[in-house]
Amino acid sequence: MLKDVTLGQYFPGDSVVHRLDPRTKILLVILYIAALFNAESWVGYGVMLVCLGAAIAVSGIRLSSMVRGLKPIVFIVILTSLLNLFYSTGEVLVQFWIFKITREGIKAAILMAARLVMLVMGTFMLTYTTSPIMLTYGLELLLNPLKKLKVPVHELAMMMSMALRLIPTLIEETDKIMSAQKARGAEFDTGNLIDKAKAMLPILVPLFLSSFRRADELATAMEARCYHGGEGRTRLNVLKLAFRDYAALVLGVLVLAGIVVLARFGL
Amino acid sequence: MNEPILKVENLTHIYSPGTPFEMTALDNIDLDIYKGEILGIIGHTGSGKSTLIQHLNALIKPTSGRILLEGRDINESKQSVREVRGKVGLVFQYPEYQLFEETVYRDIAFGPKNMKLDPAEIDRRVRLAARFTGVEESLLERSPFDLSGGQKRRVAIAGVIAMMPEVLVLDEPMAGLDPGGREEIMENIMTYHRETGAAIVIVTHSMEEAASRADRMAVLSHGKVAMTGTPEEVFARGEELRRMGLATPVMTDVADKLRALGVELPGTVYTVEQMVSALMELEGGKRRA
Repeated sequence: MLKDVTLGQYFPGDSVVHRLDPRTKILLVILYIAALFNAESWVGYGVMLVCLGAAIAVSGIRLSSMVRGLKPIVFIVILTSLLNLFYSTGEVLVQFWIFKITREGIKAAILMAARLVMLVMGTFMLTYTTSPIMLTYGLELLLNPLKKLKVPVHELAMMMSMALRLIPTLIEETDKIMSAQKARGAEFDTGNLIDKAKAMLPILVPLFLSSFRRADELATAMEARCYHGGEGRTRLNVLKLAFRDYAALVLGVLVLAGIVVLARFGL
Repeated sequence: MNEPILKVENLTHIYSPGTPFEMTALDNIDLDIYKGEILGIIGHTGSGKSTLIQHLNALIKPTSGRILLEGRDINESKQSVREVRGKVGLVFQYPEYQLFEETVYRDIAFGPKNMKLDPAEIDRRVRLAARFTGVEESLLERSPFDLSGGQKRRVAIAGVIAMMPEVLVLDEPMAGLDPGGREEIMENIMTYHRETGAAIVIVTHSMEEAASRADRMAVLSHGKVAMTGTPEEVFARGEELRRMGLATPVMTDVADKLRALGVELPGTVYTVEQMVSALMELEGGKRRA
């Protein structure tokens, strides 16, 4: 039931994409998104699709897991496509009642749907091939310059990795408490909205309490091991950019530049 | 102790079937639980104990097979599920973590309230359950979160006992308590058993505990019932138990070692008392000879 939820799932592997530095991957995703939003024509989208397809192929992530991850956004994709379909001006193809479908509308609907799907798939490439720990470490390093502005970068990254770490634990805990209250005759799926909201109380109170307890214990355990924030903290595995990282970044910049040039020429 | 109140028939449970995470937790289990008996379920971590007991009150639905409560399938209808939740009480591991109400009284009353009993009956049951579990009257109006660990555990068990189940299932009810607390909780459960005649099912790691209290034991191993029988019968197969990664009671170990040394110890031995009488018999025999 609740256990089937996947959030920011990571598929371990040993492809070039997996081995790229997390910083490189984060920057590549940003470049990718920028390029995607600059693409205007079939050609531009075609180029982006080839890039995405190549990345997926190299990473060895199965297409089925990519598609499964799209489920939550199906509704948004359909809604935006429909809005684009009906709200574009141009050469009218079909007209009925207050609706009219234009050639431009069809093109916009298809491209908008493609943009959203490719956007989500591109970000999946990051989370599917990068372990949460590497991801937050990469983010921390990238945001390091902000430390000069007194932004608590290390603390933010630490909070993020702890939150990610605790999601499965919380799901498991919720499952357990729900079972225990059900054993005492609680029912969560009967009655009106107010009844249902009230029925959540026996789950939420123990869940909050155990979260606070867990946080407290974690803090104590960290302090017992002399954790005192980011200052002077060293890493077991220090990230170093390799040749492949530079190559990938150059490629990414070239793609973005190419898309911008294409858009200039109206393609 | 003649007719089974709960009957588990060919029960199989597979987690996440059809995915790479597929796992058979229970494999064709048959088990009877008789009226008024004390059944000890023992097994290694991951042997399927927790999955099994959650089937007993329809918290988990079987992949195949059925569970019969007094001859009727408990997963037959919504009504039968509701009924079994009242008749088979399940106390989870560390039950104190499910307390949520403002007062001890209201928390114990949660179960009976869900059974839609009238207020007078709820009040009677709350006080009765509190008495069975040794929760003093003065604690009833306190917040459950101000109590000590052992008291919280007893309030949580009272919350299930207040439903007056005919079968009380407890998953490691003594885990994490000090020896005094363990003994008290065990006594509370026994009081409920004696005064109401309810069947008790205790899942435990502690062989001594199972040996001293249970009428019958069921040993789970890799999702199958490996043995059932009286503690004597089960502990007589010490070697098999050890192969399943289970410890036998200390006294059984000692007896087995003595036998290996050539001491002809009579009968099965799993408590200190039995060891003493077995040794006495041995001594007496020698003297007579």
